[in-house]
Amino acid sequence: MQIKVVIGTISFMLVMIILGVAALFEPARLEETADAFVGRQIEKGAVIFHDSCAECHGEGGLALDCSTTAGEEIDCKGIPLNHAALLCGDPSLRMQQMAWNSSKENFIKQTISSGRPGTLMPIWSKSFGGPMEDYQIDQVASFVLNWAETPGLCGDGAVAAIEWPDTVEELPDGDAENGRDVFQLNGCAVCHGDPEDVNSVATVGPWLGNIGNDAATRILGMSAEQYIYESVLDPTSFVAPECPNGPCNDPSVMRQDYPNLMSEQDMADLVQFYMTLKTE
Amino acid sequence: MATFYDQVREMGLKQATIAKSDEIVERITAGMNTGDIRSALRGDEARRPNPRLRPHADGFWFHIRPSFYHNEVTRIYPTFRLGWLSVFMFIWETITGIFLMIFYTPRPGTAYSDIWNILANVPLGELMRNLHRLGAEAMVLVVALHMLRTFLTGSYKKPRQFTWLTGMLLLIFTLVLSFSGYLLPWDQLSFWAVTVAVSAAEAAPPAEILGTNINLLIRGAPTFGDGGLLRWYLLHVLVLPLLTGVFLFVHYYKVVLHGHSLPPGQEKVGEDTAKRVPKGERTYFTPDILTSELMWTALTTLLLIVGALWFYNAPLESQANPLVTPLHVVAPWYLAWSQGWLKLADKVLIAFIFMPALATAFFVMPYIEVGKSRRYADRRVGLSITMLFIAFMLVSNWMGSPEFAVESSADQELFQELVPQEGHSVLLAVPFEDLEEGFYVPGGDAPNPALEEALQEFKSAMDRHSCNVNGNTWKDDCKPIKDSEGNIERYANTFASEAMPDAKAALRIEAEQHDLKRIIMQVSSRDPVSGEILVDAERVAFRHADSGYEGQ
Repeated sequence: MQIKVVIGTISFMLVMIILGVAALFEPARLEETADAFVGRQIEKGAVIFHDSCAECHGEGGLALDCSTTAGEEIDCKGIPLNHAALLCGDPSLRMQQMAWNSSKENFIKQTISSGRPGTLMPIWSKSFGGPMEDYQIDQVASFVLNWAETPGLCGDGAVAAIEWPDTVEELPDGDAENGRDVFQLNGCAVCHGDPEDVNSVATVGPWLGNIGNDAATRILGMSAEQYIYESVLDPTSFVAPECPNGPCNDPSVMRQDYPNLMSEQDMADLVQFYMTLKTE
Repeated sequence: MATFYDQVREMGLKQATIAKSDEIVERITAGMNTGDIRSALRGDEARRPNPRLRPHADGFWFHIRPSFYHNEVTRIYPTFRLGWLSVFMFIWETITGIFLMIFYTPRPGTAYSDIWNILANVPLGELMRNLHRLGAEAMVLVVALHMLRTFLTGSYKKPRQFTWLTGMLLLIFTLVLSFSGYLLPWDQLSFWAVTVAVSAAEAAPPAEILGTNINLLIRGAPTFGDGGLLRWYLLHVLVLPLLTGVFLFVHYYKVVLHGHSLPPGQEKVGEDTAKRVPKGERTYFTPDILTSELMWTALTTLLLIVGALWFYNAPLESQANPLVTPLHVVAPWYLAWSQGWLKLADKVLIAFIFMPALATAFFVMPYIEVGKSRRYADRRVGLSITMLFIAFMLVSNWMGSPEFAVESSADQELFQELVPQEGHSVLLAVPFEDLEEGFYVPGGDAPNPALEEALQEFKSAMDRHSCNVNGNTWKDDCKPIKDSEGNIERYANTFASEAMPDAKAALRIEAEQHDLKRIIMQVSSRDPVSGEILVDAERVAFRHADSGYEGQ
């Protein structure tokens, strides 16, 4: 019997010591597990992004490289998500522009869940009539937010609200080739179609294939460059006469936040790109 | 009796306090004072009249426990402590289960995240979950072994037939308790295992009336959802523990009533002397059995905690998704035999004829098998049948595994081994920093040992799922399987009934995001005769730096 008492007592003491040691390591383990949860959410979100989002928002979320599930290359219909304007700063520029008062995570979840009315962004959450469960939306949001961790993306004010000059002459010299990238990166083609393809059909805004000529004729005494510059800066300042579905809306339905997504150099490049667009 | 004040005046404060505390101890133990407890622990002879018997007569807790046992049943053989261990595990599961209940809500929208909350936010939460899950599996094992032991020593024979019958009920309760807990984490593993098991109930004849309604009753709706999870939760935390508790007392009452049966060789054939314990053969509950039980409590607790901390991890897969069935859905090991049987024959035949018949046979066995002798030498047929039955169950369990009769296509099986949708693999367990970007081939060079090991595994998986026709690296030659008209239908090798001829496979690791890598596995194979593409498949998996598959 003595030996039983000894074994029992030693076992009990060992249990207490082991529990104590386990408790000591517990805070670190909890943190690790919480990170593991986020890591796995991001992994699951990546799968969903590739299956459901990349067709419009592009591989890597840049809205540059889009293809259908069958592998056919198509124009990207969505805006870039791997972008400082959405991901950097709290609130980010995109959140300010949409007058969003809650967190960035909620902004992304809400946009995915209920879609973006007036654009091609569909409703995803079952709560609003879409196909996905809310936990899947959380996973995609974790994946999108993880782009903010890209080194350098949110470096010192990569995108900051810019005091835009009054005249286009005050911008730096533009480069039309870079301007084409700005056009694509910001998803302009989603509404305006491909301006370099005469057969392309614009969906919402006017087709811009001849904007290099048209811009000079719209406002008497205003240079084409200045007209384009002001139209991008504030879409409602001038409204084009004809849109694909009849006369253009006044006020304009174009997104107002492009100035926040671009640097002065981007804007100058874009203006130069537009100036090359002439059908005759 | 004198008041405490009177006692202090009479004996002084110290003596009065000692006397008072002694009295309190005696009341709590229903008969033993401090001196009696110390003398019992020292192993002294009891004074007369024996105060160690009084808790059995007057106390609630010891009332159901016998005051002494036959010496012969207190050693490891013949009981192996299995009955005691079963009770211990039941109490253990109740305690750890209540801890988990505090942090759990049985709703599909929250259940899964509640489990993650237990793991990532509750101090010692992961340990508690592991203890509960490990305890559940240990309990199934212990209860099954207890039943086996009872059969082997012939302890089910007259007068203990009814004890065996209640034991059968407790075994079934234990299995259903364990399996009902399976669903609660609401992950892919649990959701699909339970869905598959319950689908057998749907076939209850006549299926339009009985099957449909049983299905509705079990799932709360045509498919598992809010209602079904709540039902299984209530079954798990309320109905079954209550039933188990009640029948545990019936079972134990019968054990005490008839006494623990002696080892078969110790008594004459046909006699049951368990209740007539000669004076010299007695082991008293206090102190011997009590200290023994306390020792086993401490030892078992130690073993379970060490196991749950360092050797066992309760699995948790992705959140349940009714739209995505994982490749290999398997029942837990203690029910895999039933899955094996369901692969062999019609659901109705297995689930509503064979299994109930088998259960009934077990229930009534002691009333039919009425041979007088409990001795092993006299029960050769019965013991041989038992051994055959155990072998049959082990084979059935193997038949329940994906290896038996549910092979998928060769490329899917290959992906399942290396980049499974759920669960772990050697490749996914490679530490994140060792997943260097690049292009790799099976068994090829790798920049570090961990990745090299994964590529070796890739190679051996390719060996299992592909074969050689025109001379390449795969060991096995292709065996053409022809259809009735003599055309080659598919190819096989030694391991698999479907193998990819002259397959080519590769692995690419690319950066997807900061701290996130994309693992792309591709495999392709052409028909060696016609040149037509047989397989051209790709599986993409993602791996985050923090996801922590390394330790699992």
